[in-house]
Amino acid sequence: MAEETSLQGWAPVIGVETSVGEVVDRAFDYRGDVTVVTASGRELVGYIYNRDAHVAEPYLQMFDADGGSHQLSYSDIRAIRFTGKDTAAGTSYEAWLRRKAEAGSRPDA
Amino acid sequence: MSVPLSQMWTVATYVLGQRLRGRQRYPLVLMLEPLFRCNLACAGCGKIQYPGHILRRHLTVEQCLAAVEECGAPMVSIPGGEPLMYPDIGRLVQELVARRKYVYLCTNALLLKEKLGEGVFTPSKYLSFSVHMDGLREEHDEAVCRDGVYDVAVEAICEALRRGFRVTTNTTLFDGANPLRMREFFDAMMDLGVEGMMVSPGYSYSKAPDQVHFLRRQRAHDLFRAMLANPKKRWRFNQSPIFLQFLMGKHDFECTPWGNPTYNLFGWQRPCYLLQEGYAASFKELIETTRWEDYGKRSGNPKCRDCMVHCGYEPTAVNHTFGSWRGFRESVVATVTGRF
Repeated sequence: MAEETSLQGWAPVIGVETSVGEVVDRAFDYRGDVTVVTASGRELVGYIYNRDAHVAEPYLQMFDADGGSHQLSYSDIRAIRFTGKDTAAGTSYEAWLRRKAEAGSRPDA
Repeated sequence: MSVPLSQMWTVATYVLGQRLRGRQRYPLVLMLEPLFRCNLACAGCGKIQYPGHILRRHLTVEQCLAAVEECGAPMVSIPGGEPLMYPDIGRLVQELVARRKYVYLCTNALLLKEKLGEGVFTPSKYLSFSVHMDGLREEHDEAVCRDGVYDVAVEAICEALRRGFRVTTNTTLFDGANPLRMREFFDAMMDLGVEGMMVSPGYSYSKAPDQVHFLRRQRAHDLFRAMLANPKKRWRFNQSPIFLQFLMGKHDFECTPWGNPTYNLFGWQRPCYLLQEGYAASFKELIETTRWEDYGKRSGNPKCRDCMVHCGYEPTAVNHTFGSWRGFRESVVATVTGRF
């Protein structure tokens, strides 16, 4: 499988770079928190765990860090910024291999 | 085969009942994930990569039981995350057993001995600990990226068996697995006295740390043929022999993604335990509104192309068994002779 580039730090301009639907799809696939800016200027920080673009009024669902859940219509979204750490971009497996290799190269290992 | 007769009877009557009712899509095993938190970070796992506030959440027992009731499957598998980190695991299992659900508690066993000592669980024919074991010591510790886990798990398995619990093992295989070592592993698990073993190729989770060692379809067939073509009589597998034949390339099956539906913090996962394409608010909605034709090998979906994982294909194998006299005969022969 091709290595994916993390979207951490990405702040696309909706309507110019990409559509709201595309950004929501990327944010749904992203394993970190995002900041959603609504049409009224409100900022919500949390994890987007669901979205449905195939209904009359497409929406996303997210959990915020304080335990709250939110549902927002696509039409109410002005921006989404990928502000949280991408937890799937870790290097735990590489770190494990490195530790094993280092242990194996020690004379007393 | 090692599945107890009472469990076989429950599953057989359930499946036949569904077929007699003409139900097109029915669940066989509910995959109930009460939490995503885990005390390991395995190389091939794509299930636990979430922000801290998601990992700290968990379902309530009541949410779990409502999902079990709504789904209606006769078996409930509790993966995760690590279910022994779920604070109400004892009560959840007790409630499921009271409802006569066959429960497979999937655990890495790091906390198992401690929980057994605390008396969290009571032995029952409805409860099996399904211990994650990806091979002998060297292979397992490498798969879970931590030294010493194999030994802890073996100790916990022995303790659970000593206390009278049903114990099975579940093994995920990746590219590079050595068939001879795996045969030694099967011997080792039988020596421990486990009831049976479950094996499956790993799914190529896009979020897993190791993206290199997922098995492609032909290599999976080669590996399983090399491991299982001449099985020892003492080996017992806690899964359909037809599924094992499928892994060996003897059947060309299609996936049954609704067979093992998944419920977790986010709802009913579309379309299956492995892919996260969205969530439905109810089981009914999952079944009725998921575009099933977009998934499975024949759909051409690249995410499904190499998948041979048990959560999609074991239900197909069970359907094959009960769908024709030929399928039933094949299952009986494999069960009686122990050959695949």
